[in-house]
Amino acid sequence: MDNAAIFVATAAVLSVWIAIFVYLWRIDTTARMLQRELRREREQAETALPKAEVSRVRSTDEADEPVERRS
Amino acid sequence: MVQRLAQAAKIGIGLWMAGVAIATFLVVPQYEGLGDAGRIVIVHVPTAWVSVVAFTISAIFSGLYLWRRRERDDHIAVAAAEAGLLFTLLATITGMIFSQVAWGIFWNWDPRQTSIFVLLLIYAALFALRAAIDDIDRRRQLSAVYSLFAFVTMPFLFFIAPRIADSTLHPNCAFIQGSNCDGIVLEVGKVGLIGDQKVQLLGLERKGNLLVAEVKVSTPGLQREAILYPSLDLVDGGMADRPEFPGSRFQLGLEEYNEATGAVRLNMEAPGTNLLENRRTLYVFLAANLGFTALLFWMLQVRSLVLDLQWAIAQRGRVTYG
Repeated sequence: MDNAAIFVATAAVLSVWIAIFVYLWRIDTTARMLQRELRREREQAETALPKAEVSRVRSTDEADEPVERRS
Repeated sequence: MVQRLAQAAKIGIGLWMAGVAIATFLVVPQYEGLGDAGRIVIVHVPTAWVSVVAFTISAIFSGLYLWRRRERDDHIAVAAAEAGLLFTLLATITGMIFSQVAWGIFWNWDPRQTSIFVLLLIYAALFALRAAIDDIDRRRQLSAVYSLFAFVTMPFLFFIAPRIADSTLHPNCAFIQGSNCDGIVLEVGKVGLIGDQKVQLLGLERKGNLLVAEVKVSTPGLQREAILYPSLDLVDGGMADRPEFPGSRFQLGLEEYNEATGAVRLNMEAPGTNLLENRRTLYVFLAANLGFTALLFWMLQVRSLVLDLQWAIAQRGRVTYG
């Protein structure tokens, strides 16, 4: 291969590699942004929803007693 | 801080691989008998190596999935199998290009080519299996089990099958210690096989200090045949004339002569056999291995993250208990 041809081949391979690198970088960045967004959304959903935990189930013979609630 | 280091590492991979690409063309020298085609080894061998690493990671995480039942393990196993398949394809394509230059044919069902083709089929079937099962848990379990079985075949197909085959044209002697590279010992009139070439020793003639062999070579299944005259210098014991096989850059060498039995040792001299003895080639080769391995881990991280996100989005809105 003469000098010009080898430089052309180098430039072609470098172009392909740069395209692959940019493609990977963009997917990586977009995926991370999406991951952060999903995390934030989940955290907001967790704080916005009212929480209740049932600690005792009322039996039929204590029907008049109030149920203990924690939130 | 960790995020910044990760970003710097990714930029590092980009620069490192760009350096490898430049060095492949501007630092690695040409090789006798191969010319510029010898440079393909800088891509061919590292991609094959990286696919072995990827399939190993896939098997490890498949095992972990069966043990812990975490989706993340399944996602890494799938991402690794995909990367492994991609790099195996790259190794096959670069190998075919080298094969065209060195053997004069892109594909000739050489044991090395056949074994890698079978490996490609085995891992392609993994994705066919995943696509065929709708139930997500069942899909994950079955593909993890399949991946473990596929991994068992990998070392055999990658390393053992081509090494035990006597008739391979793959330049094993260049890279794989213990390969059968001894050639064949023939007496006059006898027939043998070197690589995929049928060889028949028709006669021996002494011309001064040289012993000249008349050898008929042909490729089984092809019409092509030729008479070649390799010779041996009886004074210094070295090979003299090494004619090329028809349509190929491999040479036929006459390595030894046993006066007592009248037998000679014929061997196929592969171009590029001592490729890595050159320091510049060796360093670029090692740098390429390192770069491709780092690239694999980056690809794995990105792909498994995308699979995690797909799973998280699919799960969004579903009520979970516990």
